[in-house]
Amino acid sequence: MTPLLEVQNLTKSYPVGRKGLFGKRMMQVLRDVSLSVHPGEVLGLVGESGSGKSTIGRAVLRLIGADSGTIRFEGQDLSAISSTDLRRLRKDMQIIFQDPYASLDPRKTIRAVLTEALDTHKLHLGTARAERLIGLMEMVGLNPTFLDRRPHEFSGGQRQRIGIARALAVEPKFIVCDEAVSALDVSIQAQVLNLLADLRAKTGISLLFISHDLSVVRYISDRVMVLYLGKVMEVGPADQIHFDPEHPYTAALISAEPSLKHTSQRIRLTGEIPSPLTPPSGCVFRTRCPYALPACAETVPPLRDAGQGRMKACIRDDIL
Amino acid sequence: MTAIPVRATRKTRLLPGFPRCMILPTLLLAALILIPFAAPLITGADPVQIAVRDRLAPPSFAHWLGQDEFGRDRLARVLYGGQVSLTVAFVATTLACIVGTLFGLIGAYFRGPFEFLTTRLSDVVLCFPPILLALLVVTLFGPGAGTLVAVLSVLYFPSFARIAFSEALRVSSLDFVEASRALGTPSHRIVLGTILPNIAGPVSVQYSLTAAAAITIESGLSFLGLGVVPPAPSWGQMIRGARQFMSQDPLGILIPCVALTLTIYAINFFCDRLRDTLDPKGALGGGKDETSVPVAAGMVPADETADVVASVRDLRLDLMRPGGPVNVIEDVSLTLRANQCTALVGESGSGKSLTSLALMGLLPGAVRQARGALRLRRKSGEMVDLGALNAKELEGLRGNDVAMIFQEPMTSLNPIHKVGAQMVEAILSHRAMSPSDARARAISLLELVGINEPARRFDGYPHEMSGGMRQRVMIAMALTCEPRLLIADEPTTALDVTIQAEIIELLQRLRTEYANGLSLLFISHNLGIVAKIADRVAVMYSGQVVEEGPAAQVLNDPHHPYTVALLESMPSSHEDLHSARGDRLRAISGTPPLLDARPSGCTFHNRCPIAVSSCADARPPLFVSADGDRQVRCFRAPEAGLEAAR
Ligand SMILES: Nc1ncnc2c1ncn2[C@@H]1O[C@H](COP(=O)(O)OP(=O)(O)O)[C@@H](O)[C@H]1O
Ligand code: SF4
Ligand code: SF4
Ligand SMILES: [Mg+2]
Repeated sequence: MTPLLEVQNLTKSYPVGRKGLFGKRMMQVLRDVSLSVHPGEVLGLVGESGSGKSTIGRAVLRLIGADSGTIRFEGQDLSAISSTDLRRLRKDMQIIFQDPYASLDPRKTIRAVLTEALDTHKLHLGTARAERLIGLMEMVGLNPTFLDRRPHEFSGGQRQRIGIARALAVEPKFIVCDEAVSALDVSIQAQVLNLLADLRAKTGISLLFISHDLSVVRYISDRVMVLYLGKVMEVGPADQIHFDPEHPYTAALISAEPSLKHTSQRIRLTGEIPSPLTPPSGCVFRTRCPYALPACAETVPPLRDAGQGRMKACIRDDIL
Repeated sequence: MTAIPVRATRKTRLLPGFPRCMILPTLLLAALILIPFAAPLITGADPVQIAVRDRLAPPSFAHWLGQDEFGRDRLARVLYGGQVSLTVAFVATTLACIVGTLFGLIGAYFRGPFEFLTTRLSDVVLCFPPILLALLVVTLFGPGAGTLVAVLSVLYFPSFARIAFSEALRVSSLDFVEASRALGTPSHRIVLGTILPNIAGPVSVQYSLTAAAAITIESGLSFLGLGVVPPAPSWGQMIRGARQFMSQDPLGILIPCVALTLTIYAINFFCDRLRDTLDPKGALGGGKDETSVPVAAGMVPADETADVVASVRDLRLDLMRPGGPVNVIEDVSLTLRANQCTALVGESGSGKSLTSLALMGLLPGAVRQARGALRLRRKSGEMVDLGALNAKELEGLRGNDVAMIFQEPMTSLNPIHKVGAQMVEAILSHRAMSPSDARARAISLLELVGINEPARRFDGYPHEMSGGMRQRVMIAMALTCEPRLLIADEPTTALDVTIQAEIIELLQRLRTEYANGLSLLFISHNLGIVAKIADRVAVMYSGQVVEEGPAAQVLNDPHHPYTVALLESMPSSHEDLHSARGDRLRAISGTPPLLDARPSGCTFHNRCPIAVSSCADARPPLFVSADGDRQVRCFRAPEAGLEAAR
């Protein structure tokens, strides 16, 4: 099956401060990231804050430009198409944000928010419009009589549903969920996760599901990708990554996750995450890796096949 | 039982949505602007008709405000002059506003060369003192209303460009603008339809300020003879003319001055109110610093043994609202014991933070303690009733006997001072010791909380540290005076899991290693962390403690339906479920009630899966387990073997 979204060798830097009079110092936040999302698949993206998760999410939607690498959506190279074509393509790829407060315009009613989406792509015009708006509200579990209310009249969980309705309005094939449930209380988080699970079952939509909560990612994703300092550490089927991590960083993350079941001993990481301005040579994780060898400092470990549909970027096979 | 507070129904207003505090300034301003333009209705006199015989005539029936040095009717002149002054000021301000806002919007949304153009152009214009620039241009192009408008708009457009630029930059980075871009909405629709309405507030405040300034400068230039050309009236012209006859005829100078002052006052009054109305923070009555005082209880609870470090008894807190007090915390009791960690868990808005702030004597000004006792053991061993202390004594207690750390350490550290200096200040404010001893103590504390190279970090700034390190510094600062009780309000929520685990381990270690031992009140919504650190757990829902007991028992064998549901809804409780297999998580239906709209009966009854009809009628009391160690606020608790409290 050809992937819906295919990203190859994506790199991205941001300018930080000044260097000399005119030069800008660049901070590399994505290093050679490749990923693919198949139709109907949910790819989970985990990693600590600043590891570049959101940058990937925005880059694959072309909301920000990348330095190099290709992004193909249904086979079309997004960096090569015209801005008109890109606008048309936006119907198929949407985003849901973390902050339910910042993601809605405080001045617009829910009707205006959803109408903007439909108008832009000339969908459900005329009499079909009213029906569509009601259908969208029901799909995300909101009372259609709320359509003329403004965001401040809703709770965080309800706002998140509105954000989901906005993304669904244009019937996308792919949605980036950037920490879409992280700001919600546990009971509400479960409701929204169920909503996403129902959508999967009903519409076969594909998701890039970004989160720092490993249990949430395990529940919702088919495959999980682990990111550290803008570099892919490990990719593989969600259950396998969660219950049997191969990469030392994944193992450390999972062992640090506070769980009600006191299971395995926590793998202690030494020191703090290095600054992306001065990344370690060789394996970027080596300054905190409990299994680092001198060889780890020399070459960047390639992302290699680890069997059973898994890939990892670690030179050692004799651990974990 | 407790009646549910009903919000006072609002009186219907003439203009729905028009804030009441804006009515007076708007009417005043409208009147002052409209009166000059109603001049023909007020007086039939011609403002430029000269009557030399009647020069400087005092007020009469025909000329209510008298006549000026050329015998012209002063009332007509002040009214028609007002027309000119106001027209010049408002036309110039409007032009500056439109041009400046467009520049700012385009610069902020498209960035790149547009940003450069906007910021540099504004910088250049802003370099000149306004009055000097105005003088220069008027001298070059000659006086007149047209020149004035041109000069004033050039003068004022940069301030609009700046405000629009910075505000638009802020709004553009918000997710809802990104969402519009992701939807493919065309740029002009985003800029005009989404960003512009969201920066309208600050821009309109700037508009009022600028209009006031423009009136002043117009008058100033006309006064200098560089503005409106005589004989056309303007307020500046009138002052200029009357100046020479000031001693003979003070009224002449008084009239335009009063008109000018009144107008500017009205505009400023309008501005101030507008700013308060548009700024949600400004509109809140009562500053954050203002706190309300605990009330004295006068009774000593029977179960207060020597190992109790703090106790909350039957605490009831009310939120003061214009329509009357609204009860937000109801009958909360907690007992914190020496070297124990008590976790307060619950969803946002359940009242965790308010309860802990009450224990610090730090309730926000709008919250009043209506009932209950808050008692704290001092380091001396004496148990004090917070309600019996005055503000100064409470202050002495904070930091010394009880300390607090928060979710976002950056907001509690001053970014412009070095970490060490802030710690030394905190130590010296509670202890008499030499600065060098304080420094040594600060460094040893940094070491205690696991900061590498503490001496180097001592001289660093907060922004040079990562979030985890800043939280360690906050803990070190909280420990400066060796408090017995540390209240930690979601201390790890903003941190990554690996760092979070380290902070939890640090707190665990401190409990045993630190001085005389430390009791923790640990507030969290994360049950996984609570399982790691807590000895006892109190679960809060809608302002009440619904279940309390030993952590292991509550988390492994919860009795209250809310605790059960909370544990069930965590994805980590169900490692066998997966969305791809069509599994659903066991979510709690509905949403938690808002604190000011708590349901009657059991506050959980509208979401409770096992509710019976009587649950909606009365608040359930606390039921106690046979060994007295667990408490549950649920009518169905007896089914689990709990009994009604005596
Ligand atoms: N607009 C920006 N300008 C400069 N640096 C940025 C910008 N956006 C993100 N970064 C930096 O890029 C890195 C990765 O950020 P991000 O993708 O947001 O990570 P994550 O989503 O995993 O937390 C961080 O170091 C962050 O500070
Ligand atoms: S390559 Fe070396 S440093 Fe990197 S994860 Fe593997 S063992 Fe650790
Ligand atoms: S009292 Fe009734 S509604 Fe409340 S938690 Fe118990 S069973 Fe549920
Ligand atoms: Mg992010």
